[in-house]
Parts: sequence; C-alpha cells; structure tokens
Amino acid sequence: MKNEARLSDVHPLRILSGRRRWWMLGIVCAAIWAALGLGTSPAQLIPSGNGIEILEEFLAAGLTPALDYESQVPAGTAPLWAKVLDALRRTLIFAATGMSLALAIGLPLGVLTSTAWWRESSPASSWSRRWIGRLGRSGAFVFLRALIAFMRSIHELLWAVLLLAALGLNSFSAVWAIAIPYGGTLAKVFSEMLDEAPRDSAAQLHDTGATSLQVFLFGLMPRALPDMAAYTFYRLECAVRSSAVLGFFGFPTLGYFVKLAFVNQHYHEVWSYLYALIFVVVVLEFVSSLLRERVVIR
Amino acid sequence: MNSSSRRTQVEALRRARPRSRLLRGTVMALASWTLYAWASPEIALGDSLTERRLTNFQNFIREELWPHALRSEPFTFSGLWAWGHGIWNEVGASSTLATLQISILAIALSAVLAWPLSILAASNFATSAPFSPEVRDSSRGKQLVWTAARRASRGLAILMRAVPEYILAFLLLAVLGPRTAWPAVLALAIHNGGILARLGGEVVENLEPAPVRSLTAIGGRHGGLVVFALIPLTMGRNLLYFFYRFETCVREATVLGMLGVVSLGYWIQDARSKQYYDEMLLLVLFGSGLVILADLTSALARRSVRRG
Repeated sequence: MKNEARLSDVHPLRILSGRRRWWMLGIVCAAIWAALGLGTSPAQLIPSGNGIEILEEFLAAGLTPALDYESQVPAGTAPLWAKVLDALRRTLIFAATGMSLALAIGLPLGVLTSTAWWRESSPASSWSRRWIGRLGRSGAFVFLRALIAFMRSIHELLWAVLLLAALGLNSFSAVWAIAIPYGGTLAKVFSEMLDEAPRDSAAQLHDTGATSLQVFLFGLMPRALPDMAAYTFYRLECAVRSSAVLGFFGFPTLGYFVKLAFVNQHYHEVWSYLYALIFVVVVLEFVSSLLRERVVIR
Repeated sequence: MNSSSRRTQVEALRRARPRSRLLRGTVMALASWTLYAWASPEIALGDSLTERRLTNFQNFIREELWPHALRSEPFTFSGLWAWGHGIWNEVGASSTLATLQISILAIALSAVLAWPLSILAASNFATSAPFSPEVRDSSRGKQLVWTAARRASRGLAILMRAVPEYILAFLLLAVLGPRTAWPAVLALAIHNGGILARLGGEVVENLEPAPVRSLTAIGGRHGGLVVFALIPLTMGRNLLYFFYRFETCVREATVLGMLGVVSLGYWIQDARSKQYYDEMLLLVLFGSGLVILADLTSALARRSVRRG
C-alpha cells in the first residue's frame, strides 16, 4: 500500500480537491435521496411495542451466554456445549468444502480472465491466423468475464434458494451455493492481482528465451501469489459467515440454531451460538493479519 | 560454470529461501480440515444424485422455470416480454429501487460509524504523542486513556464485523418491527462499519509520518492533526474502500428482504413460498442486473478517485 504524502497535501481544503469533491457531494445527495425515498426517519429507530423489552433482555443475555439448555429437554439429549460445537463443526465443513471448490473454479478462471495471460500467449505465424486468433481470444475473454460477473452478481443465499428449489435440501446445494459466487469473486480478484503484479521477473525470463507458459508460471504467478493467498484467506473468513447464515434456510449450521433459539426466546442460547461464530471469525482474522505481517509484506 | 556447480548453487539458493513455520502450519491445518470436510458424512454427494433428485431437477428446469404465461401457448418473444414487463411493473421496479436506496443509505451510515472508530483504532494516532517517535508526554494517565480508547474501538469494530448482516437484520427485525427499512439499513451499516473501520485504521497506520510530524513540531495535537492531516491524507483511500464495500452492500441488500423488509428479497421469498419458480428466477435476475450496474459504478468511481 503506497501513500504518497506530500507536505502540500496537509491543508484542510484538500479534502474538497479535484474529483473527490464531486464524489463526496454525490454520496451525500444520494444518501439524502435514499432516506427520503425509503421514508426512514430517525424517530422510527425507537422500538415500539415490546421491542424495547426484547432489546434489553437480549443485550443483557449477552453477558451470560447459556452453558446449559434454558428449557426442559428430554433425558439423554447431548449437552448444549456439544450441540454448539457440532453446529460449529458443520459450519466449518460447509465453509471448507465450498471454499475449496470455489478455489478450483476461481483459479483457472482468474488466470484465463487476466489480460496478462492473453498477452503472454505466443503470436501465430501468418497475418490471417493472427487476426482469427485475436478475434477468438477476445471472444473467449469477453465470454469468461461475463460469466464470472454473472456468477458473483447473485448472492450465495440466492444461489442456495435456487439450488434448494431445483435439488431439495442436501449438502450438494450448500456447497455449490458457496462455490459459485465465491469462485466468481476469486476469479475477478485473482485476475486483477495477476495484472497488477510487477513484471520485472517476467520480462527477464522472456528475454532469456522462456516460453510464454514458463514466463507466466514462473515469472508472473509467484509475484502475485502472496496477495492471492491473503485474499483467499480473507474469503475463507467470509465463507464461514455465509455457511453460518445458510442455516436460516434449513442447513444444520449455526444460523439454524440461532434462529430456533431466538424464536423460542432462549436469548442466552442465541449468544452461545453467536460467541462460537465470533470466536472462529476473530481467530481466522488474527491468523490472517499475522500471516500478512510476516509473510506478505517483506 | 559447469552444470553441476550451477545445480549446487541453485540448490543452495533453494535451501536459503525464506520459510515461515506459521504459513506452513496454517496451510497444513487448512488442507487437512478440507480433506476431513469432504470425507465427512455431512457431505453426502451420493445422496445428492439419486434418481428422484435428478427427475426433480429435470422437471424444475423444463417446467417450473418456464414462464407461467407461456406454458399453455407457443413461445413468442412478445409473450415473454409481456410476462417479464408485467412482473417488473408490478413488483420489480419498486423493489429494485428500494434495494438500491437501502444499500446507499446503509453504506453512507457505515462510513459515518467507521470514521471515528478508524482514527481511534490507529496505533500511531491513538497515543498521547501521535506520530512522534519519542513519548513527549510523560503523563501515564493520558497514555492509559488512549490505550483504552484504542482497544475499545478495535474490539467494537471486531464485534461489528464478526456477526453476518443476515443474522444482525434478523435480530434487529424483532426489535424494530418490519414496518420500516431500518433493520436492513442498520444491519448493513453495522457490519460494513466494522469492516471500513479496520481498513480505515490501516490507512492511518500506513501514513507517511514525516508530513504529519511537521505539524506536531509546530504544536499540532490530536484535534488539529485530524482536521489538517488525517482527513486530507486518508480521504482518497477511504473513498476507494467506500465504493468497494458499496458493491457488496447492494448484493446483501437484495437478500435481506427475504426476512421481511421490502427489497427484492421480499418478493423472491414471496414467489418462493408460492412455488412460482419462474417469477422467482426473474426477480433474482433483476437483482443480478442491479448488482452488475453497481459493480460498474463502483469500478468507475474508484478509477476516477485514483486518478485524482
């Protein structure tokens, strides 16, 4: 990350310099338009009916998450902590399978949609062949770009809803619901990272007579790899959250139990599940920031 | 240089390459968890491809996704257009607009929430002697207050972003009721506020200290530094992150309607519960179109901000 700080920048009027001024003004106007259009007023933020009681009770329960069930359960039911851990395990299973499939889709698509890949591929010999090749290549390029844009323009929960309608409730639907949009997102970000990676080693390999594939694999890829790995790790964290939310649609992940406990007004149990999710997300974020500090930035 | 000495040289270079046990450990752990996950009984791929499911799938593609209006008559493009246009006029246009408005209001609010948090979370600013290599202020009390403020704002930002928007909206809906768009707006604002706070904090921490020190040298303290240094210097990058999150906000806003707030998701859920899958697919595609438009806007805005 490069910040070109100059002494001349240190002036409050610089906030409103250049295009930034127009974008800021645009944002403020758009926000006012949106608030008016939605008819939302701050007065509506005061909970009505029993909303205040629910809020107070729910927030108070946050200080004492449940260690045991809040209501009578049949004898022989597994203890609450075992149930929380099992829900967490299932959440991580869907996250890992979905994410690994997304990586298998996103990596090749990311390479194929980077302009660097097409530039490195070898030029054809004759004039007419070159033009046919160029046309075909740009056609494939546009098609693949459109494909990944479409894949990620539909939210993972909507993919889940579509797959549930088509295939019914099974693990296959959950895995693909995560894999399709995440694959598209990974492909887009990977292609940008490959295009923005430094070209010096690629150029040197090219000059020593390496083939285009070698230049790409050994000159360009390694330069982009740390960024790509860091981003994949961040998406894994997102996949854990998405997998938890899939529970709201019937999959046995954390969201399912959060919903159930909340509807039954077992607010302390809700917090037990929420803390399990928060714990995993915080651990993943901690590891990823450590990795970025020690490995990516050197 | 003969080939064997070259080989030993390459081998020596390979052995001297930077290695990280943390990285290896993480990769190993993730790889083995992924293997376990694929092998676990929860991922029953055999169950997914039973005869019954495949027939259902064929029916779904051939019949249920086929536009309702065209099922009894031969296919014409004008018939398809009339069907789609009818749904667009009836629910599509208004809920697509509401989805856009929810996401704009939410991202603007999240920027307002994130801004103070990002400044307080930056370790080079939130000390008693900001941007100074030496601790000028010997008062330990002040130092403690700043440390407490930094920890608190970091912790708050982590909590805000750790809970998914969908769960936040579900909880807020019970408190605020479904009459307004606030549950969706607040859920998006809180989650994205947490993310923007972290990204914004990193921007402050990565600032070149020299220009800011020129202000501390002439007596600039926290308030002055915020106005004269932090706002102008971080504005560009913060705008980039703002537009980057706006894009994801639009995707999420579509979905939050499924909980009962009037965005596209509300009508998607409605069509789903009636098993009008043709209509459901069309509404999903309206949402997809909106997201692609927001994507383009965001890319355009970021390019323009980057240029100046």
